[in-house]
Amino acid sequence: MLHACVYATILLGFFGLIFKENLVMKIIAMDVMSTGVIALFVLVAAREGIRTPIVSVMTPRNFADPVPQAVILTAIVIGFSIQALMLVGVMKLARDNPTLEIREIEKGYRP
Amino acid sequence: MTTWTVVWMALPFFVGFSVYLLPHGDRLLALGVALASVAYGIILFLQPVSLELQFLDSFGVTLLADNLSAWFILTNALVTTAVIVYCWDQSKPDFFYIQLVMLHGSVNATFICADLISLYVALELVGITTFLLIALPRQDQTLWVGLRYLFISNVAMLFYLMGAVLVYQAHQSFAFEGLRGAPAEAPALILMGLLTKGGIFVSGLWLPATNTVADSPVAAMMSGAVEKAGVFPLLRFALMLDEFEPIIQIFGIATALLGVAYGLVATDAKRVLACSTLSQLGWLLVAPAVAGFYALAHGLAKASLFLTVGQLPERDITTLRQQPMATALWLPLTLGGLSMSGMPGLVGFGAKVLTLDSVLPWQSAAMNGAAAGTAAVYAKFIFLPHTADASAPKQAPPQPGYWAASRLLLGGVVLGSAVHLEAYTWPDVAKVLAFLAGGWLAYGGLRRSLRLRLPVVLEEMDHLIGGMSVMLVVLFWMVWSWSMA
Repeated sequence: MLHACVYATILLGFFGLIFKENLVMKIIAMDVMSTGVIALFVLVAAREGIRTPIVSVMTPRNFADPVPQAVILTAIVIGFSIQALMLVGVMKLARDNPTLEIREIEKGYRP
Repeated sequence: MTTWTVVWMALPFFVGFSVYLLPHGDRLLALGVALASVAYGIILFLQPVSLELQFLDSFGVTLLADNLSAWFILTNALVTTAVIVYCWDQSKPDFFYIQLVMLHGSVNATFICADLISLYVALELVGITTFLLIALPRQDQTLWVGLRYLFISNVAMLFYLMGAVLVYQAHQSFAFEGLRGAPAEAPALILMGLLTKGGIFVSGLWLPATNTVADSPVAAMMSGAVEKAGVFPLLRFALMLDEFEPIIQIFGIATALLGVAYGLVATDAKRVLACSTLSQLGWLLVAPAVAGFYALAHGLAKASLFLTVGQLPERDITTLRQQPMATALWLPLTLGGLSMSGMPGLVGFGAKVLTLDSVLPWQSAAMNGAAAGTAAVYAKFIFLPHTADASAPKQAPPQPGYWAASRLLLGGVVLGSAVHLEAYTWPDVAKVLAFLAGGWLAYGGLRRSLRLRLPVVLEEMDHLIGGMSVMLVVLFWMVWSWSMA
């Protein structure tokens, strides 16, 4: 069930990327997609349990896998910095293309 | 060697941030980093065994530096050096050199990564710094093209991440070998991400417009080094895991032919070069075992071609046919073009012969066609009119930096021909000369009649992203039916 929801999020984000006309909406769709990917990492980490993996006197069982969680942290940081960079670029573009319709921008700037 | 590798990896980033403190030393520091990479690449060649490093733990960073990496590192280092020399007296802001050094470092990192996550980080860094370099002139057109590049590469990398976590789920490890034995969707997602990032086949159609709009030195850097960062992991997969080699080779052949077709109908000089890059990236994938030397040959020649085209007063080939250019510019253009077409005596010959000799019989027909097509594409430059008359109108003399950069690259093109002397056998020389003659004849015959326009609709952003889903389905089918069988 959870897997289905995660894949649905990724897919919805991807469809948004294709079908949304506005550049800002596309960036938001990309964010939705990357949220889905992050959730997938968390889900994979939790496949054998959800307990925090800390060494203690207790018998070790049901621990979450720390590796995907650690790895996805890097990806989250990279993802949001790219989004910030894109939004700055879009702000600059919006000065001359106030509607930010991708079709118009593409037509105007074709080399 | 381990210590040196770590120092060499960290150096570009350390220097990049130090330039903020020492803005006056930007060019010197950047040049120092590039020369350090040249030295490292040469030392790597002299290592008898490949260097495998594992940091932290079994889940840590793994690096693998071998002969293949050495070729790519050397290419990247020489192209970066040439670009820095080219820009030496152009009063570029220190930000340009900072990004260039970081880009150089991150491209180098992709050449020695041996696990999926380090590769992901390196590739994302390549994407960000390339975007900043493209968008640096701060015009709307460059900004848009850069934004488009960043968008597409980031979406591709999201698919790649999905593949990486599926590999982890199957093997509890992010090592490249994990692609074997993972469910079919994992290699399909990873390959799709890398094909897009490397500019291969229809996923790579972002490449012509991006290279056309980018500033000449940035375009030289992209064609010479950056796009190889996406191709390199594909080569590693092909060499490490036999079952993926046919898939990667098929994409290589398709790309080689697609790029030639686009290049033949293009009229903008920079676009012709960009389409040829697309085709040459395919050549790299066709023969993964000898791709290193091919990458060096392509990087040197293509970077010098991009820098030369940046000096021309006009970029439209039709106009260039009517206005003779200075012979001093025509010579480097011709030398680069001949090397790309595989002229004996230049580095391109050895690379081309090595690749053609190592393909399978069924592939060689397509690659022979691509070789003749490449010759036809470069005939566009070679047969342009030129004049030695310095007083010709509309001709600003090229900057001194250009001459130094072009001498460095073309010197490499001429000297590199000595690397594979065993390629000089009569049948091979005759074969390559036949391709040249065939390509030039085809160009002469088709020049007047070829008014075909290939659809640019595939190069629009929506279609590029939509194309990813199509490629994903195709790749899934290929992996599932060929590699899993």
